[in-house]
Amino acid sequence: MTIQWIHVLYALLALGGVGAIFGLILDIADKKFAVEQDERVVKVRAACAGANCGACGYPGCDGFAAAVVAGTAPVNGCTAGGAKTANAIAEIMGVTAEASEPKVARLLCQGAHGVAKERYHYDGYRSCQMASQMVGGPKMCSYSCVGLGDCMDVCKFDAIKIENGIAVFDENKCVACGMCEKTCPRHAIAVVPKDATVLVRCQNSDTGRVAVEACMKACIACKRCEKTCQYDAIHVANGFASIDTAKCTRCGECAKVCPRGCITVIGGQAQVVA
Amino acid sequence: MSKTFRGGVHPLPGLHQGKPLTDNKPVKPYVSETVCIPLNMHIAAPPSTPVVKKGDRVLMGQVIAEGVGPRGVPVHASVSGTVKEVGNVQQLGARTSPCITIENDFQDEWVELKGLGNVETCDPAAILPAIQAAGICGMGGAGFPTHFKLSVPPDKKVDTVILNGAECETFLNADHRLMLEYPGKVVDGLRAAMRAANVETGYIAIEDNKRDAIAAISKAAAGRKGVHVVALRAKYPQGAEKQIIKAITGREVPSGKLPADAGCIVMNVGTAAAVADAVIDGRPLVERITTVTGRVREPSNLLLRIGTIFLDAIGACGGYTVEEPGKIISGGTMTGIAAPSETVSVTKTTGGIVVLSQKEATSMEESPCIRCSRCVEVCPMHLNPFKLKNLCDMNDLKAAQANHIMDCILCSSCSYICPSRRWIMSSIKNAREQIIAQQKKGV
Repeated sequence: MTIQWIHVLYALLALGGVGAIFGLILDIADKKFAVEQDERVVKVRAACAGANCGACGYPGCDGFAAAVVAGTAPVNGCTAGGAKTANAIAEIMGVTAEASEPKVARLLCQGAHGVAKERYHYDGYRSCQMASQMVGGPKMCSYSCVGLGDCMDVCKFDAIKIENGIAVFDENKCVACGMCEKTCPRHAIAVVPKDATVLVRCQNSDTGRVAVEACMKACIACKRCEKTCQYDAIHVANGFASIDTAKCTRCGECAKVCPRGCITVIGGQAQVVA
Repeated sequence: MSKTFRGGVHPLPGLHQGKPLTDNKPVKPYVSETVCIPLNMHIAAPPSTPVVKKGDRVLMGQVIAEGVGPRGVPVHASVSGTVKEVGNVQQLGARTSPCITIENDFQDEWVELKGLGNVETCDPAAILPAIQAAGICGMGGAGFPTHFKLSVPPDKKVDTVILNGAECETFLNADHRLMLEYPGKVVDGLRAAMRAANVETGYIAIEDNKRDAIAAISKAAAGRKGVHVVALRAKYPQGAEKQIIKAITGREVPSGKLPADAGCIVMNVGTAAAVADAVIDGRPLVERITTVTGRVREPSNLLLRIGTIFLDAIGACGGYTVEEPGKIISGGTMTGIAAPSETVSVTKTTGGIVVLSQKEATSMEESPCIRCSRCVEVCPMHLNPFKLKNLCDMNDLKAAQANHIMDCILCSSCSYICPSRRWIMSSIKNAREQIIAQQKKGV
């Protein structure tokens, strides 16, 4: 059987012709119905962290990029991207980004199993929100980390794990997007400057007696830290101490005098910055 | 033919329903040595403010905390004795509740009471203040202030008062025994509520598995103006507000609206009996019937003072039959809340205390949905529980709201019927709490 080349040619011509006609139509349509898009939106979108985490408050990175170009969102609004992204976006927009210090999410609680007493054994639906509504939560302290992992579920960066009944943060993975802070029903997570290494890890507002019964590492508002601090950086209010990171010099003296061990110095050694 | 609604489940007799344990046990009064009275037993208003202090001697029925705002209700001393402590105690809420602990001197010395007399002849305008002064809030479980429920806003037209004696909840017999032993009070309470709300029609709805209660109430209601007794089919959740309105009047409460929008007011029979006491004698709400049942030596229906500690109530029933109870549930097993310890108090809304053994209390493991749609069949609100559960697990709250998650009444019929033992109701409840939290934050 011989191949009739003419048939091959017909097929090629027909397909090629149809392709050319549709290509032409598409090309005309592309020119005629072109949607005017600010090219900066595309650039800003490309500069974003791209996780669609929603921490900026807009529906994903596309929404944020559009809002930045429209002028309704700040150029450093992408918390997940940090300073690098902020600078890149600022360059695209032709402004200078305010210097944003690197931040990180930290848990203001040390109530792991064996430290915080258990009020009851919770075997219901795995949700901190749910458990914290049930009779004050599974731990005796009603300000503690519930430890069922609502923050872990919302973290897009795999930075949170639940270990020993408490959330553990991976500093290297955390981009300080703040989703965990927003989700935590106990408000036990805070996004703080990365260099704020001295932190009060307790927010128990109960009286000292109740707090002591609930947790071995609960703040009892004894004010020894407040008296020790030479820089007026630590104050007791609402039944627990908190540190003003702007004034704090990270000297770590408060951690040394705390009788309950609820002030921690991250990285172990206290370092004098001042 | 007994009336009913579409959907619902039939908890099996025996352990699943648990009613036979106590349905023929007469009500026994029990008074404990101390009572710890929470001040936030009602909803829709802030906790009442204490007006007594440590060391004060109080008489029975004396106001120990004043209601706050127009919806607030006062709290009364349920025993005579000395105030031992005014402070926060962990009850069943997310945070500690303000409580007043009173040591009983067993004198039962009452304050002077002043009633309005006969419910048929008293001034209708005086009924609501009397109800508020008696500190009455819904005794079926929610604790909504009764005087507020009965004061119908002028833009709504209410023509029916329904007394809910369905008691579809498992294990509990408190309302059943109340209707058997005090039918007169229930009917008087209904008449008082009808006159206060200026309504001509009143129904007392009872499930058809309580024939004796239907007979007793019918006898007491004979010849009373506008009072009808209705038999409802024994089914869960027959006693839910929207379902009982649908079964009796055929009306549906619009989505997101209140029963008053369907022209109805629904009250528990226990509340009605308390209203009768408040109107006739001026007696405040200081005691209620509570079924203490499950793994206790003598399951009973107890007449308990408000504020009785669970441990005392369980002790009055001979203690546990198991070494270590698995769960102690405040309320019935379908909608009740597991108590963390025996130290919580009986409130105005505690219809029962159910003790479960550890085996009974073990949570079942979830397995995948098999799309059998039994949850859809039983849902009394005609929702799509399996779909809602999937949306909740994906944390898609917007889609869940579009699928009417806020119309769910949390009856847990879907979880009960699910052959895969999926935790449908838990997921939905969790998502609803998140939605409510978001709405509060204004997101």
